[in-house]
Parts: sequence; structure tokens; C-alpha cells
Amino acid sequence: MKWTEIEVTTTSEVVEPVSNILMDEGASGVKIDDAKDFDNLEDGKFGELSGYIKKADIDHLNSGAKITAYYPETIFIPEILPTIKQRLGQLREFGLNPGNYQVETKEVAESDWATAWKKYYHPVRVTRFLTVVPSWEKYDTTVTDEKLIVLDPGMAFGTGTHPTTKLSLMALETVVRGGESMIDVGTGSGVLSIGAKQLGVGDVRAYDLDEVAVKAAQSNLDLNPVAKDIQVAANDLLNGIEEGAQIIVANILAEIILPLVLQAWDLLPENGYFLTSGIINKKFDEVVAAQEKQGFKIRQTLKMGDWYGIIAQKPGDDD
Amino acid sequence: MAKKVANVVKLQIPAGKATPAPPVGPALGQAGINIMGFTKEFNARTADQAGMIIPVVISVYEDRSFDFITKTPPAAVLLKKAAGVEKGSGEPNTNKVATVTKDQVKEIAQTKMQDLNAADVEAAMRMVEGTARSMGFTVEG
Repeated sequence: MKWTEIEVTTTSEVVEPVSNILMDEGASGVKIDDAKDFDNLEDGKFGELSGYIKKADIDHLNSGAKITAYYPETIFIPEILPTIKQRLGQLREFGLNPGNYQVETKEVAESDWATAWKKYYHPVRVTRFLTVVPSWEKYDTTVTDEKLIVLDPGMAFGTGTHPTTKLSLMALETVVRGGESMIDVGTGSGVLSIGAKQLGVGDVRAYDLDEVAVKAAQSNLDLNPVAKDIQVAANDLLNGIEEGAQIIVANILAEIILPLVLQAWDLLPENGYFLTSGIINKKFDEVVAAQEKQGFKIRQTLKMGDWYGIIAQKPGDDD
Repeated sequence: MAKKVANVVKLQIPAGKATPAPPVGPALGQAGINIMGFTKEFNARTADQAGMIIPVVISVYEDRSFDFITKTPPAAVLLKKAAGVEKGSGEPNTNKVATVTKDQVKEIAQTKMQDLNAADVEAAMRMVEGTARSMGFTVEG
């Protein structure tokens, strides 16, 4: 798919109205480069964030501002461009100074940016035993018990490096004893299913609502011989699934975990594990409460940054 | 240890509904961030404001990990809310669609003061008022 980029070079003063004009004409958002954002920064600790900054090392505008918007092929550029230019021209009448503004357009192909980040993505040891390796890199294990998850995350979730994925893999490392059956809900790139197989899980079924993810997951399973017998299919959460499993893992957002709690309960045997991740700190109490209300015992909670993972178990005779 | 910032990216995108489509994809792909990783985290943190356009400033570290903070909604969004309308006017000179008061402009300018890069509240008010008028709003008072 091709997009048209419209970039307005103007003054810092009109960033807000120009952003509004570009979105009024159909852009779903804008990118803003504003020299004044940098004027207000000082070398050293970076504002409210936890990093440190050296301004000279960062590519930025020295004056003025650039506001960039993108329009899909469905929007007819010759129709909106005159409107955008006309509205920019009117800003002076409203007491604003857009300076000697310029409007530039160019076409961009999705492939230009969809894969640009790949050059920064390298093998990374994500847990005690598991290392995620991008499919385009060659990597040999460095210690004897290291297991590899080979991935091309493409446009699906799950590079293995995000805290929510790490927490899920750590939870699996904690509970897997070998040979268990497992369901992976919202599999994304398939990273958890492949990791589970590497840890010794037996039968694995992986589901995702998104067909793009199902295809990405299948491609990734094909990259990992250990994962060749995983079944992957499109499915909305666990709707319609009748065959249970000893482990259900779900790395999805808290809002989606909540309706999943009852479904997981029904499909797990006694002592079965429900492993959930993707839970931002402010939703943690709500997800724990929903699982406990259902009857699950919370065996362990895992935390990384603002994210939580939960190891819950359906009680058995020992409880 | 604090990580060194390699790049700073500022976007205005819909809370809770960010996708890898532009502007997110091109901006973050070029910065070396895994786009899906960002959209997942952004949507999780902003689900409470779903659909509202909000500014986000993303710090990209040298190891290509990232961090971000969200800001108060754009002046245009706050103006529409203050005026009780869904949309501004596409012909702001001739078709006036709403009215806001100077007090409302001042309140929005104060709310947005930190993000507007304005020298003082008067300058911020002038920017907000100009934005209002560019949307076909009449400013009274």
C-alpha cells in the first residue's frame, strides 16, 4: 500500500492549528518536529523520562517546526491539498504567524518503514533458558542449556523482548515440568508456543483473532523444528474451544483477560495453570480480583517495569 | 544506570487505538523501534481515553528500547470539548460553527502551557485563540 506524506514546514507557533488542519483532512495523526521542544531541553537527565540526553547527538531542527501527516490511497490528494494550503494561508487572519511556510508532498511505500526497525533487532537472551533470535541473523548457543526461539515478528505482536513476553516466558519456565498440554491465547508471532515447546511442553494449540498473526505465527513455527506439531488457528479467545489443556497462557491486554477468566476455568483441570501477562500496573488489582473470584489461587506474580504477569492455578486436592 | 537517548519522536495519535499505520509506522520504524511493541504498550496505557487524539513523546534509547510520556490533548481537542462540538469548520472564515469565551481560552492556554512552547500565558492564549478561530470558532469576551 502506498501513502502520501504531506509535510508542512512552518513556525513553532502554529503547530497546534496545522496539526488540526492536517487531521481535519483525513490524517489519523501527525508527527511533530519542533525546534522549541529542544530549546527547552538541557543536556543531562531527560525531562520526565529516565534517560539522559546530549542534544548535539540527536538529529533535530534548529528552528521552526515540521508537521508531517500521511494519507492513504483512498484519500484524493489533489482534492485536499488546495484546502490545506488555503487554510494555512488563512492563519495570519487569525492572529497567528506561520512564517514563510512550505508544503511538500511525497509518496511512501509501506515497505519503506515496516521493516526499517529490523536492523536494530538482534539475538537476545530473554530468560534463564530462552534466547530469541531474529530469523535473519545467524546465532549459535553459548551455553549448553540455552534454547532458541527463531522469530520473524513481521507485523504481529511479540518480538520476545517486550516485558510482557518476557514475563510470560518466565512464567512458563516456572510451571512447566514437561509433557503438559497447552493453549496459547492471542499467540501473535507464536513466540510463547515456540518457547513452551523448547521448555518441554507436549501438545500445543495456538489461537489468534487476527489472521495476520495466524499467518505470522505459522511462518515462525516453520522456522523452529521443535514447533512443527503446534496447531495454530484463527479463533476469538477461547470461544467454541471444548478440548481443555493443563496450561493456558495469555499475553494480551488486561481488558481481554477479564472475559477469558471463566473460559480458562472451564477448560483447565484441577491443578492446571492459567498464566496471564500484558497487565499494566493500574489494571493488576482488577485482574487478580477477577481470577480469585473465579476460584483461582494466585501462586506467583511477576513484575517488570510497569507490567505484571500472574501465575494462577485451579485448586486441586492439596488446596 | 540511565540510558542515553538516541532520538526523540513526538506524535499526535488516537489514544487506545494506535496502529502500525502512519504516522506511527514511518516515525518509529526509522527510529529503530519495534512498531507493534510500541502500539501495544501505548494502547494499554491510554485505553481510558480511547479515541481521543493525544500527544505522545517517545524517547528512543541507544539500545532501541523506548519510553514514552503522554501529554494533555491538543488545543483543538480541548476547544471542541469546551464548545461542545464534534468538529470544527472547514471554512473558518465564512462558516462559524461554535463559540468559546476568553476565559475558556485562558483555561486551555494554562492547561497546555507546558506543551505549547509559549513564552508566557498571553502568548499561549494567542496561540489557542488563533487555533480556535482557524477552526471556525468565535472567541467572545
